[in-house]
Parts: sequence; structure tokens; C-alpha cells
Amino acid sequence: MSRLLALLLIVLFSAVPAGAAARLVSGVSNDTIQITSSFDGERLTFFGTIAPEAGSGQRYVEGPFDVVIVVLGPTQDRVAREKTHNFGIWLNTEQVEFKRFPSYFHVLSSRRLLEIADINLLNQNFILPEAHAMVPNIAGFMKTLVFGRELIRLMSEQGLFGVQENGVRFHSDTFYSAQLTLPSSAPPGPYIAQTYVFQNGEIIARKSEGFAVRKIAFERFLAQSATQYPLLYGIACVILALFTGWLGGVLFRR
Amino acid sequence: MQIYLPIAELSVNLFFLVGIGGAVGFLSGLFGVGGGFLLTPLLIFSGVPAPVAVASVTGQVVAASTSGALSHYRRGGIDLHLAMYLILSGILGAFGGVATFSVLRAAGQLDLVIAVGFVVLLGFVGILMLQEAVRALLKSRQGVVVRERLPNQHSWIHGLPWRVRFKKSRLYISVLPVLAIGLFIGFVGSLLGIGGGFVMVPALVYLLRVPGNVVIGTSLAQVVAMMAATTIMHAVQSQSVDILLAFCLMVGGTAGAQFGAAAGQHLRGEQLRGLLALLVLAVAIRFGLSLVLAPDDVFSMAVTSVVR
Repeated sequence: MSRLLALLLIVLFSAVPAGAAARLVSGVSNDTIQITSSFDGERLTFFGTIAPEAGSGQRYVEGPFDVVIVVLGPTQDRVAREKTHNFGIWLNTEQVEFKRFPSYFHVLSSRRLLEIADINLLNQNFILPEAHAMVPNIAGFMKTLVFGRELIRLMSEQGLFGVQENGVRFHSDTFYSAQLTLPSSAPPGPYIAQTYVFQNGEIIARKSEGFAVRKIAFERFLAQSATQYPLLYGIACVILALFTGWLGGVLFRR
Repeated sequence: MQIYLPIAELSVNLFFLVGIGGAVGFLSGLFGVGGGFLLTPLLIFSGVPAPVAVASVTGQVVAASTSGALSHYRRGGIDLHLAMYLILSGILGAFGGVATFSVLRAAGQLDLVIAVGFVVLLGFVGILMLQEAVRALLKSRQGVVVRERLPNQHSWIHGLPWRVRFKKSRLYISVLPVLAIGLFIGFVGSLLGIGGGFVMVPALVYLLRVPGNVVIGTSLAQVVAMMAATTIMHAVQSQSVDILLAFCLMVGGTAGAQFGAAAGQHLRGEQLRGLLALLVLAVAIRFGLSLVLAPDDVFSMAVTSVVR
């Protein structure tokens, strides 16, 4: 009961400050991204406009605003491993597992993130990549810190994590758009795009949109067969191999 | 032209896949080996995750060995009785290999074991083959007629119990070494994604004294059956067989093998074996360097489970 009360108080007092009542009207260009056999990444456009709160009687909102868009992919359990030099060879000796780690994470913002808001506020809302690694972990604080940073670096090198601090462009005081190219290595699954509107270092509006990255047609059929009917799938692979081998022999026999 | 691989979940150039399939197929046709020991490393070095590479190449090896096995069968070059013993023990070994594969993958040591396995196995076989080929080349250059050891010469292997008569191979030997060879090749082959023909052939010739006219055919028949079983086991156990990847490799491989076989007729046996030995050693050295040299990045990552 007391917890509920506390929650209520937090909700009441953290409500948007008076005078900055704004809402976000936004959209995303694709609600599904289809993985076909020629899938080589896809470009997405996010756009929106900042409008007065409905029913507030305001005619217009006053800027300047900052917009931050956080795109999150499906979560996976992921490990980061470290190789060390033992007995003359390099082998994986230490590892830290990160449960429910985003498989894809990109932040687009209209300005440098640390100029937009305080680092604590950004971390609380999981806007900085590091926030995803710094969740409680049985490996202990120091190891989580080191391995988490390396994991984020590895993810960034593969284009799965990224921060584009000039990714959001304002076309007028209130209308913005942003483009994001999803790489072909982006894993299939449900994605969430969370858009935050900042003013004077505070979040004054937020909205989230979902889109899905899905294998379709033949790719979907293959991937589903492999996981749902593994025995039949394996047998099909063997029959295909035997047939291809036989056909090759027949075609090229002199 | 990019093609999306649904199990590996990445897109790769189609011509690259068919190309390396064809190149490796050419070499496998030239030397009469399956080519798995070249394809698996090539795929791993070009970015395909090791589990997917190993499991998919297993399927490609089936295709690459089928046409050879069929043509040997037509010519009566397969000792089915001997092959049956090898296949049964090979499948048993593959069970162990696939189970070990899953355990190692979860523990993060699969890449290490694959690298060490390639270094030890290929290094050992490569050195033996090179020695033998160089000796034969030198002797033939001096004009000395190479006297092969006769197939009926006895060794300790012929003193073992449970002897069985293999009519086609004209052998009356214990089944123990036969089963041991099958078991070993099944285990190593499924773990490393290789057919093991280049281990099987010398083992049959030098250990069991199987006559030359049935060695290749019997080995090929064993590779087809054992790798087929391994493909199914990988599909069930780790679900990492990418049928599209395997198919692209098969198409390139079966075509390349035909040209390789034609080219092989212009080279002499010792020269071929010498070249194959160099190739095998090169792969072993490449893996050895990756173990010994400081890696570019001491950190790596892997997905342990997918939460949807």
C-alpha cells in the first residue's frame, strides 16, 4: 500500500512542469521490415512534430526543443569473453554474461546528448549505451564495468550499437525527421523506437513506436523449419545434398 | 549479388559462396578428398559463425562425395562389408562429436578446440604425407623402382581378436582397428566439419592394408553415410545447418570437382600427394598462427540464447 502511495506521489510530482505542456505526434516510415533473400539492410525514417498538449488551450509551443530517438532491437543473452595468453596459446579464460541484452541499439539526437540533459537522466532512461551493460550482474561491479564496455565496443564495431548525435534534423522549430539505416546483420524480432522531447534538460514528452524485422516467404519458411521440425529439416538437407551430388555426376559424366 | 542466409542471419555475396565452393571443389576433385578441411576454415575466416560453418559444410561434404561414391560403386570399387563396419562406428563417434560440439559451444571453447584440432590433425597428416611424397619423388628421379610394402605383410594389428573376413578387400582381420578408425573419424569429423577422407585413406592403406582398388570407394561411401547422419544430428542438436549456405557451396563444389578430376589426370600420383600435403600443412599453419600470435582483439562476444 505504501509502495503504491509512493508511486502515486512520484507520478504526481514528476508530471510535466507547467508551461511546457507538449505532446509528440510522430511516425515511422516502415512498420515491418521484410527480410527477403536479397535483404541488405533497410533505411527507416522517423518524423514527428511537437504540438501543444490537447485540451491545454495553448495555440503553439515554444522551443527550442531537443529530440532523442532510441531504437532498441529484441533482447538476447550475450556473453563477452576475454582471451589471455596461457602456455603459449591464446584462449578464452574469462567471460561475463549479460542477460536480456539488446541485440540492436541506436540513438539519434539533435544535439550532443550531454548538452541535452544530465548524464543521470540519460542513464535512468537507458538512452546511453553504457546503461544497458551497467545493470546488476552476478560477475561483480568491476568485471561488469570492463566487460560491459568491451561488449558495447564490439557491438558498435559490428554496427549493432551506435550513437548519432546529429541524426535528428529540425526542419522548423517543431518539425523533425531522422534517418536510420538498419544493417543486414540486424537480428529479426520486435523493435521499439522511443522518442523523447527535451526542453531545458527535462523530458517534456515521449512516445514509443514499434516495428518488426521479419523474415518472410522462403527465408521465414527455412528458419521456421529449422527450429520447429529439425529432424525433417536435417533429412531434407541430406536429400538435397545427395541429389545435388548425383546430378553433378550425371551432368558432367563424360 | 547479396544473398541472405536465414540461419547464419547475415548476407553474403552469392558469387563469393559459389566461388569458394567451386575452388575447393576443384581441389577436392584434383586430390580426391572431400574438401571440408578447406571450406570450414575459409567460411570461418570470412565471417560465418563457426557453429554454422561446421554444420553446413557437413551437408556440402555429403554432396561432394556422392558423385564419387556412385561412380566407384558402379565400378565395384566399394567393399560394402567393410564400409558397413566403418559407417556404424562412425555414426557412434559422430554422436559423441556432436554432443561435445554443443558442450564446447556453450562453454565458449569451440573455436579453440576447432583450431587446436585442425593444427594437430592436419599438421600430423600433412607432415606424414609430405615425407612420403618427397621420398617417392626423389626415388623416382633417381630411377629406383619404389617397392611398396606388400598388402599381406603382417603387423601387430593382425594379432588382435574378433577377426572377420572382408571378401572384397581380401582381408581377414580383427574388427577392433576397423571400429576404432570409424569411431575416431566420426568424432573428429563431426567436431571439425570435415569428412576425414584424408585421414581415412592413409589409415585404411597403412594400418589395415586395404588394397588400392577399393580404398577410395570405401572411404567415400563411409564419408557420405557418416556425414549424412552428422548433418541430421547437427540439425537436431544445434539447429545450425544453413541449407541455403550448404546449397550454394554444393553447386560450386560439384561443378568444380569435375574440372579438378580432369586436371588431376595430367599430374602424377606423387606430385598430387605432395601438393595436397603442402595444402594441408598451410591450413594447419594458418590455424596454428591464430592460436600463437596475439589476437587483434582479446575480447569477443557470442549470443547464448535468444529471447523473443
